[in-house]
Amino acid sequence: MDARLERILLRVQKPARYTGGEYNAVIKDKAQVDLRFAFCFPDTYEIGMSNLGVRILYGIMNGMDGVWCERCFAPWGDMEAEMRKAGLPLWALESGDAIRDFDMIGFSLGYEMAYTNVLNMLDLAGVPLHTWERGDDDPIVMAGGTCAYNGEPLADFIDLFSLGEGEDVTVEMLELYREVRRTGWSRREFLRRAAQVPGLYVSSLYDITYHEDGTLASITPQEGAPAVVTKRIVQDLDTAYYPVKTIIPSTEIVHDRVMLEVFRGCIRGCRFCQAGYCYRPVRPKSPEVLIEQGIASCKDSGYQEMTLSSLSTSDYRPLAELCDGLLDYCEPRNINLSVPSLRADNFSTALEQRLQKARKSSFTFAPEAGTQRLRDTINKNVREEDLLRSCRTVFEGGGNAVKLYFMLGLPTETDEDVVGIADLAQKVYMVWKQYGSNRARGVRITVSTAFFVPKPFTPFQWEAQISMEEYRRRVALLRRSITNKSIIYNWHDPDLSYIEAVLARGDRRLGKALEAVWRKGGRLDAWSEYFSFERWMDAFREAGVDPDFYACRERPWEELLPWSMISVGVRQSYLWREREQAYRSTITPDCRKQCTGCGADRLLCDRKCDALYPISARERHATAGEV
Amino acid sequence: MAKMHAHRLLYEKTGRAIYISHLDTMAQFQRAFLRAGLEIWQTEGYNCHAYVSIALPLSLGFSSRCEILEFDLVSQVSLEEVPALLNRTLPEGLRVLSCYRAERPFKQIRTLDWSITLDYDNGILEGVEEGFRAFLAPEHLIVRKPSKKSKKGYTELDLIPMVHRWSMEPVGEGQLSLSCNLAAQEPSLNPQLLMETFAARYPALAPDFARYRREEVFQENGEIFR
Repeated sequence: MDARLERILLRVQKPARYTGGEYNAVIKDKAQVDLRFAFCFPDTYEIGMSNLGVRILYGIMNGMDGVWCERCFAPWGDMEAEMRKAGLPLWALESGDAIRDFDMIGFSLGYEMAYTNVLNMLDLAGVPLHTWERGDDDPIVMAGGTCAYNGEPLADFIDLFSLGEGEDVTVEMLELYREVRRTGWSRREFLRRAAQVPGLYVSSLYDITYHEDGTLASITPQEGAPAVVTKRIVQDLDTAYYPVKTIIPSTEIVHDRVMLEVFRGCIRGCRFCQAGYCYRPVRPKSPEVLIEQGIASCKDSGYQEMTLSSLSTSDYRPLAELCDGLLDYCEPRNINLSVPSLRADNFSTALEQRLQKARKSSFTFAPEAGTQRLRDTINKNVREEDLLRSCRTVFEGGGNAVKLYFMLGLPTETDEDVVGIADLAQKVYMVWKQYGSNRARGVRITVSTAFFVPKPFTPFQWEAQISMEEYRRRVALLRRSITNKSIIYNWHDPDLSYIEAVLARGDRRLGKALEAVWRKGGRLDAWSEYFSFERWMDAFREAGVDPDFYACRERPWEELLPWSMISVGVRQSYLWREREQAYRSTITPDCRKQCTGCGADRLLCDRKCDALYPISARERHATAGEV
Repeated sequence: MAKMHAHRLLYEKTGRAIYISHLDTMAQFQRAFLRAGLEIWQTEGYNCHAYVSIALPLSLGFSSRCEILEFDLVSQVSLEEVPALLNRTLPEGLRVLSCYRAERPFKQIRTLDWSITLDYDNGILEGVEEGFRAFLAPEHLIVRKPSKKSKKGYTELDLIPMVHRWSMEPVGEGQLSLSCNLAAQEPSLNPQLLMETFAARYPALAPDFARYRREEVFQENGEIFR
């Protein structure tokens, strides 16, 4: 271990974040390695190690001969200060080597507020910050993850974006790296050829021009780069790599348990939800494979906790069969199986009872909006009676705490919808009064509101975010409307969500603002103890950027959006149609009731979209419209 | 509380593992037993978990060659096989040396041998050994130790009766090795407190950095405790 690091470690909080050496961490013989990859997660160790995608790609890359993928996380403020004082460059946990000497550096982008950490980590590593400053000896800097679908705000700093699921394209990218190196390495040549690989987007090969009003005028690909880059998906999850043998941290992390991903995609089509559109089409894993992998993962990890993961687990058809199979193994071994992401409309007592031996007393539901009209607008097809029935089940079973999550600022929201949240919470209270099995204990109904952030690749990507003043007014209205002492109201501050809205739909001109905020000390912005709204506003001013242009402006259909060169499979025309449906408060049925032709099934080569499974091919084409 | 469990491990904690906290170390062993396919007794009640207990908590950043962990092995397996099975499933730096039946309770532990490496970045200073001798020469040396239990927020300790023997020798470029035998429990003396007190009283002789390692654990009669 580096002598400087040895002294620093005892002065910082949670030093085990920085030391590596965990069970199943991959150590390779450097003499046998020709390609070194630093997998950087732009947040703390505890957050990054909880990410299943990181574990999958770590396993895939390290499964390749001659490739050594190591991990690197954002240091907390105390560690960063010590590193800068000691002149210690950012290192990879496995080898302890400085990552600036690696061949490639890859960032996982899951959240816009982590962007300043990307800049900070590049700087701590000693890698030139801007793509154009990097020479042939510097590492290639790439990024993937949900935010890569609109990576434009990071275009100044990231050489290459990987779109969609990385299982296959990561291998292709590393093979290409080797090939270009064999034939005489040049950074430019690698990037030019990478742009030809489906799913890889090289932002420097796209020229952008702007109209006088600041909107985009044109996107012109250069050097043979494709006009549209389509995200990649895994065709068959049953045969795709799953990290049964994976790193078990030596310190507690956020999701410290076996994670089983039961399917990808979502049938629901909630119109605010980026994941719901970006992760299409729906592809399940078979229960047999999941049971086998779940058991093997418990054995290898020694974890006594397992969780199923997906966007909406109760939509997994063989859920009961899967749970039965897993519980047969788990119950006698005191392994706890948890199933989050169950929906209020199909919450089943029988399933819940099988899963929870120790009775839970608190349940969380996300109706998202207070009135049926607005829930129809956002296509959150939870009906009031479904929610109240689920709450009745909870209260009859002895539960005495319900959390209800909402958003404020959804398109078309009126004061009636805001007050509707208070009314709904009151109705939940009345259900408790009528059915609560233990009324002497009282009840706690927690209402939380978040500030709606419109995201790319959703039907609301053209929407204006309401102003922060308006959000605060609606918060105040809701506060006044809640009079029952058993109903507790929590709301998020709007400033972070406003910045998030700027970045989410930003273009590459935001690079200067990002750099300015980072130079002013911005980092770890997802953490309230570090986030500073004033710092962001100062940086926008300094960079000559009007944040309202990005956050609070409604875009017309004709506008060229900054992410127009990217496709997630879902057609833009489909998203626009969904937006029009929203304005009519018309729901779109879930993909199992009827395929509405989003277009994502075109990503599938030789199989059908799972959402259509019970419907024959003929029926599918009859209902698919555009397909 | 004082129930003695049937089996024990003697293990080392070195290298990167010294940054694993006491609680996390226990969690690593709980999982390592399961990974190795070794069933151990689980606590009963609301939140069942595999039971392990460590004789003397080790401060974060300290290494040790003599950690003792107690548990009850349920699996029918010969105790000699246990170290190899566990060592395949433990993180780097945690290494089991032996597994055996518990014979005497932890409360019989009296003292610990420590090895403390003192770094002097600009070369070893003259007179450190003499200074240390003078430091420990008085009949009493009362220091305050922060305490959550005490109303005053600290307790007072007399260091002198808790330092049983010590010796010092140079071990390399700019390094001194301090070997000492210190009280291990009721009350215990953390060697870091000893060194911090020395540094406060003899600032001119204070090292730039100190590393702490437990070497051996003893019971009343000076015999090695297992």
